[in-house]
Amino acid sequence: MTIAPVVVEVEVPLDPQAAFALFTEQVGTWWPLETHSVFGRDAVDVRFPACADGPIVEVSSAGEESTWGTVQQFDPPALVRFTWHPGRLPDTAQEVEVAFTPTSRGTAVRLVHTGWEAAGGRAAEIRDDYATGWVGVLDRFTAAVPVRR
Amino acid sequence: MQAVQLTQTLAALGDPTRRAVLEGLRGGELSVGELAKGLPVSRPAVSQHLAVLHECGLVEHRPAGRRRLYRIEPAGFEPVRAYVESFWTEVLGSYAAAAHGQTTEGGTP
Repeated sequence: MTIAPVVVEVEVPLDPQAAFALFTEQVGTWWPLETHSVFGRDAVDVRFPACADGPIVEVSSAGEESTWGTVQQFDPPALVRFTWHPGRLPDTAQEVEVAFTPTSRGTAVRLVHTGWEAAGGRAAEIRDDYATGWVGVLDRFTAAVPVRR
Repeated sequence: MQAVQLTQTLAALGDPTRRAVLEGLRGGELSVGELAKGLPVSRPAVSQHLAVLHECGLVEHRPAGRRRLYRIEPAGFEPVRAYVESFWTEVLGSYAAAAHGQTTEGGTP
């Protein structure tokens, strides 16, 4: 059973250094916390470590913390790779790799989310995320965003 | 329609025993009897779980003599995969908007 990885790409008008910094150390300035977080409306920040082995941490208004994953590879400005288990235990983690490639107009950012071979065992936790935090994402997307196949 | 299918698929996968039935098929096609041998569940219970998995498209079957062989249908996982993809599409959309914001503010900070 092989399930294709999730691949999403975007091009931004920044050089790779700036694009990498925006994705990592400045993640708290743009991440859509209200809809894409464990604490939802109570989420106030998300912090990205500046080295491998550090945790990606979401912070609530009450000061609670939730670890989304752990950085496995930190190679600015080319690549960052991390485990991914927001709202779940680390042993259900999948893996996300983000590559930054210079283009004539800036930087191509390619995100690959793998680990779907085990989706059968993990989908329940993904469902829990859906119930607790990522409310409305699906509805908004099926309505508005062209989903790449 | 896709939202309905996603909910149904995730509900089907939410049951640990049903996941065990599904995972029992990862090695290849099996009959209900063969599948039940490897699981701490009765044969009728396995049949029932297979029916649910078949209904939401996660499992297919074909006749083989007097038996029926079951297999995993990877296409059935597509709603779950598409859901996660939509998540990242939105996140990268926010990221790109922030990047464009930096540019219009007159360069990188």
